[in-house]
Amino acid sequence: MVDFIYTGWGALVVTLLMQIPFLIIFFSIVNKKAFVDNTPAETPAEKYTSTRYLWIAIVLIAFFVVNFASVKYMPTVVEANTKMANVKDVDISATSWKFDMSERNFQVGDTVRFIAKSEDTMHSFALYHPDGELLFTMMLMPGLETASALVHTFDKPGIYMVRCLEYCGVNHHGMRSVITVAEK
Amino acid sequence: MSVANTLIQRAPFFGRMFQIQENELNPVNSWPALMAMTSFVWLSIAAILGLSMPAIQLFDLGSHWYYQNITLHGAAMAFPFAFQLMVAMSLHRAGACLGKRADGILVALTYILMNVGALLLTVAVLMGFHVTYTVMFPLPVVGVMTGQWSMSALVLGFTGIAFVLISMILTYPIKILRMSFFEKKQEELQLAERSMKDPGMIGMVMGVLVLLVTGIPLLSIASPILLYLYGIIPAEWIAWAATPVVFEFIFYIFAHNLMEAMAIMIIGAVYATLPLCTADGSRRLYSDKIANLALWILLVTSLTSFFHHFFTMYPALPSTFAYHGNIMSYGTAIGGALTIFTILATIWKHGLVATPAVFLILGGFVMYILDGVTAIVISNVAWNFKLHGTVWAGGHAMSVLIAISMLWMGMLYYHYPLMTNRTIDDSTARKCIKYFFLSFVGLFYTFLAAGASGMPRRNANWEGDWLIYGALLGVFGTILIYSFYLYFASLRNSKALEF
Repeated sequence: MVDFIYTGWGALVVTLLMQIPFLIIFFSIVNKKAFVDNTPAETPAEKYTSTRYLWIAIVLIAFFVVNFASVKYMPTVVEANTKMANVKDVDISATSWKFDMSERNFQVGDTVRFIAKSEDTMHSFALYHPDGELLFTMMLMPGLETASALVHTFDKPGIYMVRCLEYCGVNHHGMRSVITVAEK
Repeated sequence: MSVANTLIQRAPFFGRMFQIQENELNPVNSWPALMAMTSFVWLSIAAILGLSMPAIQLFDLGSHWYYQNITLHGAAMAFPFAFQLMVAMSLHRAGACLGKRADGILVALTYILMNVGALLLTVAVLMGFHVTYTVMFPLPVVGVMTGQWSMSALVLGFTGIAFVLISMILTYPIKILRMSFFEKKQEELQLAERSMKDPGMIGMVMGVLVLLVTGIPLLSIASPILLYLYGIIPAEWIAWAATPVVFEFIFYIFAHNLMEAMAIMIIGAVYATLPLCTADGSRRLYSDKIANLALWILLVTSLTSFFHHFFTMYPALPSTFAYHGNIMSYGTAIGGALTIFTILATIWKHGLVATPAVFLILGGFVMYILDGVTAIVISNVAWNFKLHGTVWAGGHAMSVLIAISMLWMGMLYYHYPLMTNRTIDDSTARKCIKYFFLSFVGLFYTFLAAGASGMPRRNANWEGDWLIYGALLGVFGTILIYSFYLYFASLRNSKALEF
């Protein structure tokens, strides 16, 4: 369940969970005070104050929960939870409009650290699951001494698509490659 | 007749919307009316270009057209439309609330630099300078080296960008600061007195200060690069400024805060206008103190939340900056939450007069909050690695621009009788609001769903299921254009005020 939350579609679900209550409350109040009864409300001052504190408390709790639960999915924590002795390092060099990779063929269960640099302009290295889900993207800024790097464990065989997601010129859409993952 | 009034009178189609009577209020009305009118010319161009992009993809007309149109569309929407409309309305508000002239050399320079700059950039893009409105440095230089566009297109494009930046970072903020603190008050120009303690005025001053403070470093690195391109200084003198990491960080500190400044300014404008539309005639917010607190929280947290643009550079971006950007981004939402409370509490306490102006303003505010949720979601480090570079991020940028524009367009409805001595066509305006909101919701959720599915932004090859999202964007984009047409019609069909 939590794994789903921190995917692209999970982000949309959480977004809707925040937006829908806001829309209902906002339109109810506007409708009531613009069309049903627009006379001044005789709500006591303390009620406004308690509502304000409750509202801010709800927002703070929601933000704390969302961010705290996400810690497990941050790259530093993913790396810390990985047995680095078994990790395969793959060096990637991105230039307009291709990826040079030191290794493109893996097996299910392989844990790979993708270490990527750009040689000319802004690029990214985005890895797509065979079912189309975007697994992660790394921004590659040219001229940096430290390369971008992420660890990923392959869980399913198939053809994984690699795309550049940072606009990099007139053939940006053509900058892609594939990684093949075989059964163990 | 003033230069501004003459230009308005001679403008085909749009001129009729903004005809200004020659009277003692001309120093407040003329230039803002000219700027608003010109911004709508750019909006018309940007809207057609926006609609062309799904069409180019659906009918496979070629990537050249797609990248050309996406660059022109983004640049026209963000700067000569949205920003210029904000300049127009804020100058008008400052003039009428403080009793200061909204004309003079700084205003004329802002207008000329913004529009000439945008025209030069347009010509450069038509010459092949397809860099998108975020420039993507060092792409402009790499593009010349790899034969994607010419050096003359680069020089022309950078000149246009420099003109636009000078108007946004120097001439406009300085004019607002002069009006707020220094220029002489003229009683006959002051129509609704406000002090600098008023949340509406504080929001405006915060906004221009952010532009000035975060923009000057960008001008400082862009100027030597431009001087080198003109052949005035040697290449070795600009090595410090042309390093991609230097340029990108300075650029995003400004670009991120430009959007935040526009948001702070429009929230201030809502705080100023909503009390004027309350049913009990109290002309008060629920609480000025809470309104001001929300603005200060938005200001302080937004300044350093720009790190969220670089999360996916890990570990090149140290984790501490990523966490800082994550926390600050959620901090902006606390300012947003307080703003929601203030606005709803004001409506609840004082009631609301249902006019098209207030509904367009509230509609824009709802859009702004809906978009804000998507912004904080993508500002979480874990989600950012799944969404950055997708249509989710592009949709967020477009949605916030549409929301801010809708708020200013609502504000224009409110200011319109004062500006032109005419009243808008009420029934067309109400129709416009319905279509505007419908199209926004359609576009917004299509962008989010496309982003969630991993659809890349700024990509001329929408494959498979992504074409369905493209078709939906085309449908809702058409409705949005229709709502713009209705908006224009509500101004063109305006009637003279009867006294």
